[in-house]
Amino acid sequence: MKKTTHFAAALGLTAGLTMSASTAPMAASSNDMPAAAPVNGVIGYILTDEVWAVYQTPEGKQECPEGLNAWGPREQFKKMFVDDGKKRTLEEAQLAWEAKIWHPELGEDPFPFRGPVGNISYGVNLDGRVDADDQITPDGVKGIDNQLYRAIGCIEEFRGPTGILHFLVNRYLRDFEFNRVLIEISGVEDMVNDPHVDVTILRGRDRMMADATGNDIIPGGSNRVDMRWGKKYVQRLTGKIEGGVLTTQPSDVTLPHAIFNQIPGEDHMKGAVFQLKLTPERAEGLLAGYSDIDNWYRQLNHSWSTHHQSYGQLSSPSLYKHLHRLADGYPDPKTGKNTAISSALAVKFTQVFIQHPPKEVASR
Amino acid sequence: MRPLRTVKVFSMVAAAALMASAAGAQMKRGEPVEDYQRQPLPPGIQVIITDIEGPVYANAEGKTLYQWPFRALRNGDGGEQKGKPTCDNTVYKENAGLMSPYPGGFILPDVDKRLSCAQLWPPVLAPADAKGVDKWAAIKRPDGTMQWAYDGFPMYTSILDKKPGDVNGGTRRRVTGEAGALREPVGPPPVIPPGFIVIQVATGRLVATADRSSVYTSDRDTPNKSNCYDRCQDEWTAVLAPEFAKPLGEWGIIQRSPGLRQWTFRGKPLYTYALSPEGRNASLQGSDVPGWHNVYTQRAPNPPKGFTVQDAPSGQVVADRNGKTVYIYNCNDDAIDQQSCNHPDLTQAYRIAVCGGGSQEKCMRTFPYVLADKDAKSDSQAWSRIAIVRCTHSMATTSQATSRAIPGVNSRAHGTVSKPSGCVTTISTMRRERARQDIDHASFA
Repeated sequence: MKKTTHFAAALGLTAGLTMSASTAPMAASSNDMPAAAPVNGVIGYILTDEVWAVYQTPEGKQECPEGLNAWGPREQFKKMFVDDGKKRTLEEAQLAWEAKIWHPELGEDPFPFRGPVGNISYGVNLDGRVDADDQITPDGVKGIDNQLYRAIGCIEEFRGPTGILHFLVNRYLRDFEFNRVLIEISGVEDMVNDPHVDVTILRGRDRMMADATGNDIIPGGSNRVDMRWGKKYVQRLTGKIEGGVLTTQPSDVTLPHAIFNQIPGEDHMKGAVFQLKLTPERAEGLLAGYSDIDNWYRQLNHSWSTHHQSYGQLSSPSLYKHLHRLADGYPDPKTGKNTAISSALAVKFTQVFIQHPPKEVASR
Repeated sequence: MRPLRTVKVFSMVAAAALMASAAGAQMKRGEPVEDYQRQPLPPGIQVIITDIEGPVYANAEGKTLYQWPFRALRNGDGGEQKGKPTCDNTVYKENAGLMSPYPGGFILPDVDKRLSCAQLWPPVLAPADAKGVDKWAAIKRPDGTMQWAYDGFPMYTSILDKKPGDVNGGTRRRVTGEAGALREPVGPPPVIPPGFIVIQVATGRLVATADRSSVYTSDRDTPNKSNCYDRCQDEWTAVLAPEFAKPLGEWGIIQRSPGLRQWTFRGKPLYTYALSPEGRNASLQGSDVPGWHNVYTQRAPNPPKGFTVQDAPSGQVVADRNGKTVYIYNCNDDAIDQQSCNHPDLTQAYRIAVCGGGSQEKCMRTFPYVLADKDAKSDSQAWSRIAIVRCTHSMATTSQATSRAIPGVNSRAHGTVSKPSGCVTTISTMRRERARQDIDHASFA
C-alpha cells in the first residue's frame, strides 16, 4: 500500500465530451481535505493502482526474518530434473512441470516455503470476529482477515517495488482499457460522515488523464461508461462514510483484469468490502474479501508465465497447496473444506468525471 | 468397432497451371480482395490471394512462401538473418533452452518421428544460374544449392499446406516473445497511398494510417461524399490527403471543404477515431460506435454455419452453437529449428500436457473439440472440417476418415505407428487456419 510505483500512462483526452450534471465537481474542494459534499451528491473515481496488499518492512527483516521465499520454478525444476545426471524427455521434465501448474495437486509441499511471521497485516475484519489467529494492522486494528498475505507475503513476486506482479500489474492496469474500473458514489450528503451512500462499479472506455510526466493520473479527467462489453461489471453496493472513510456492505465483486496482450481475466471476491479514504481528488484503501482459490489461481497462471514467476521465486504448484492450507472461507457443502481465502487488494483511485451513455443505449 | 466418420476433403486446384495470380474464396464469393503491387517475379513464383492473409507469394504448385525472420527469444535468438539460410536437414533431438526458465538438453517429444527443418519447410530452390529480379535474389545454401530469397530472407514452403491458398505454416499477425521465432507468409506490398499501412489481424487485412491509427467509414456518408461535420468531428477526424496526393486504384480523394482533401477507399470517406485509446495499435474500438466500421482491404471469412458470435468483456468472440467461446491452441517448440506444435499433424505432447496434465481423456473434458455436423461445409479455406483420431489426437488420413478403421494400425501424418487397442474412432471437428489469439473488438458479421 505504501510502495506503489508509477509508470508512464497515456495522456488523457477530454475534448469534446459532455459532462453530465451528476458528475460535476464538488461544491468545495482542496487537494487532500474532505469536502462537505459533491454537487448533486455524486462523485466518480477511476482505479489507478491495484496490488495484493503486502505488509513490508525494509528488506523484509521483520515479517520474513529468514529471508524471502527461495524456491521458485527455476530452483525447484533444477532440484527435480537437472542435477541427478539422468537423461530425460521433455515430457518427463518441462511438460510435467507445466502440467503441475495447470493441474495442481493438494498435499504437502515437498519444497521449503517461507511465509511471513507475526500477525501484522493490512486487511479488513471480514467475519466480524476477533479470533486468535486474526491479524492486526500496523496502526492497531484487530480482527484482520488476510490469509492470502500469509501465503504470498514473503514471495518477492508480490512485493514492491520490484516484484513483477507488483509493478507490471499497475502498468497494465493503466495501459489496457480492458481494465478501466470506475466507481461512482452517489447520494453523498457529506463526504466526511454519511450513514448511507450508493456505490456503483462501472467499466470505463477511455484512457486515463496523466500529468506531464505521464506518471501520475490526475483528477479532473473524464471517462465514458462501457455499457456494451462492460455490462457484466456493473455492480451496485451500498455503504457509509465515517470520518472520511467509505466502507461498503459485503458483496460479491468482480473486476476486469487483463495482463500481457490484454489477455482477458478477472478478479473475483466474495463478501467483498471497499474501505477507502476519500478526498475530492483521490480515494485510497482496500478492496478486501474472500478470493475463490481456484479462480485466483487460474487468474494468476492465466496471466503470468513460468518465466515471469521464476523471477520472483513464485512456484504456482507450491503456492496452490499453501492457499488451500490457509483457506478460511466458503466451505464446500459436501467436503466441508474451505474454498476461499481472505484477501485484500490495495487500491488507489483518482477522481474522474463519469460519462454515462444515453438511457436508450444503457438499457440495451 | 465403429466406422470412422467421413471427412470433407476439398478438391485441390490444378496448381501447376497457376502462373498468374489466383484468388481465394472471397473473390469467388464476389467479396473485395486486397489489390497488390505487380512487381517483377522470378520464374515459378506467383501471387495467390488467400482467405485470411491476403495476397501471398507462392511457388509454381501454388504453395505459400514463408520467411523465418530472426527474433530475440527469452534465452537467445531464433530464426534466420538475411542471406543466411540455416533451416537444413538436421533432426534436432533435444530442446535448446531458448525459453526461460527451462534449460536445454531434454529429449524432444515424438523424437523418433521428428522431421528436420528442411523436411517441414522445404526450401524454395532456385536454378544454379538463377538471376535475381527486384527484391528477389538467389542465395547459396550451406549444401551448395541455390535458394530464392525475398528482401534477403530465404524462402520456404510448408508441408502443412496442401493446396493453393492454404496458409497453415504461419501468420503475419503480431506475436509476442513467448511465441518463439515463427514463420511468416510473404506477399507483395498492397496498393496503398503513402501514409497508410495494412495490418494483419484476426478479422482480416486492416487499414490504418502510418502511425497505426485504424481508419473507419461511416454509414451516414454517401459515395464519395462526407456527411461528418460539426459535432461528428468531435469524435471522428477526417484522414486528409496532402496537397499533391493523387488517387490510386481503389483510393480516391474528395474535396471536403475548400483546401481540405479527404481520402476515400472504395468510394467511402476515411476517418480516424479521436477517442481511440492512445497506444492501442490497430484498435477496432471505433467500430463499437453504431454506424462506423473498420476498413479492410480484405475481410477474413465468416465462420461456417453453426458457429455464433458472442459478446464477451473483451469484444466479440466466435462461439459454438451453444454460445461457448471457441479457442485455438498456439504452440512453438524450444528446438533450434523452432517447430510449431499446434497442428494436428504435429506432436500433441505440448497441448495434452497443458489441457490434460498428460491425459488425453482429461483434455477431452477441459478443452473438448468443437464437433462438426456430418454435413458441415465451409465456403472458405480459412475453415475446414477435419477428422481427428481419438486416441492420438492427430489428424486422420483421408483413408482413415473415409473408410473403416483397420484394426491394429493407425496411420499418422508422418509414418505409421502401432495403435493401442480401441484406437479406432475419430472425431469430426472444425479447424480454422492458423490464427493467433489476441483480442479484437470487432464484428465478425
